[in-house]
Amino acid sequence: MKGGARVLVIVPAHDEEESLPRTLAEVRAVAPAVDLLVVDDGSRDGTARAARAGGVPVVRHPVNLGVGGALQTGFRWAVEHGYDVGVQLDADGQHDPAWLAALLEPVLAGACDVSIGSRYVARTGYRAPVARRFGMVLFSGLVSAVLHRRITDTTSGFRAYNRPVMEVCQHDFPKDFPDAPLLIALARRGFRLQEVAVTMRERRAGRSFYTLGKSLYYPYKNLLASLMALLQRPV
Amino acid sequence: MHFLSRTQIITAFGAVALVFYVLDLVRRRKLSEDYSLLWMIASLVVAVLGFSTPLLTWITRALGIMGESSTVFAFGLGFATVMLLYLSIRLSRLGQENHALTRELALLRHEVDLLRTAAAPGPPGTAGGERA
Repeated sequence: MKGGARVLVIVPAHDEEESLPRTLAEVRAVAPAVDLLVVDDGSRDGTARAARAGGVPVVRHPVNLGVGGALQTGFRWAVEHGYDVGVQLDADGQHDPAWLAALLEPVLAGACDVSIGSRYVARTGYRAPVARRFGMVLFSGLVSAVLHRRITDTTSGFRAYNRPVMEVCQHDFPKDFPDAPLLIALARRGFRLQEVAVTMRERRAGRSFYTLGKSLYYPYKNLLASLMALLQRPV
Repeated sequence: MHFLSRTQIITAFGAVALVFYVLDLVRRRKLSEDYSLLWMIASLVVAVLGFSTPLLTWITRALGIMGESSTVFAFGLGFATVMLLYLSIRLSRLGQENHALTRELALLRHEVDLLRTAAAPGPPGTAGGERA
């Protein structure tokens, strides 16, 4: 990567042994200078083995903490090992590493502290179920209002964070879903967020972190956490 | 000493029994002192209300409650609510602490594996302690 900045791609993985090897290989192919870290979030399958076979360091949670916890572990590692930028990238193949350079560009240039790979900035043909679309509009509106800046994809898990953001997040981070509440909390701390248009693919294998059982809990928790992020004093 | 109803008698003696049970739990180290405090206050207040009929009648009139036994139950319910909320708060904190410890453990485990591999160069798999 340019300017000698050290970049770490953090791949949170929960039972992703099928899709992980290809994801890691793709990142290696497009960005050989970038380091990888797999955070195995309490997988029951061979996720850790698949990562090691690819020569990628693996940190394993003994139990499942959720994507937020996995990311937080990744941030901690990145800070301890002196990385300047951390990229969050899903193991399931949804995020095309071809967009890595575009995602990193504004963060490396210092134009923003967090860049968010968004499906909706440009028309990409992604169609979501009605309930989900309503939630996306709701949270996008909420976050955009708080940030005074248009954020269309609050649930995107394809993001780049600079070091100051990672330093804060390694200690203080929303527990379950690092979505709207995280974006609001970061904005309230004065971090600059920016969206970058990307295209996303269908997941290759595994299942979404957003399962049916969580579909009722998610909007409630996310709305409450978003409002709380507004009321909480930035630490 | 006179009681207004059978429920008052049952509640009063029940509360006293609870006081002794809580004390015994603390003695056997099954219940920590800080948790016992709220239980002690709750059961003592209910016991005092149960045994002191004039006080109970006075409070019932003052609060406009219909019937003395309702007053005793209202106090009990109030304490139960406080206790449950307190437990939820403690659980949330425990969850956060557990979460942080899990992450720390994962990072340390990785560090240990690296150090072991570095300290004992041998055939792969002998030193790393991998079971995956």
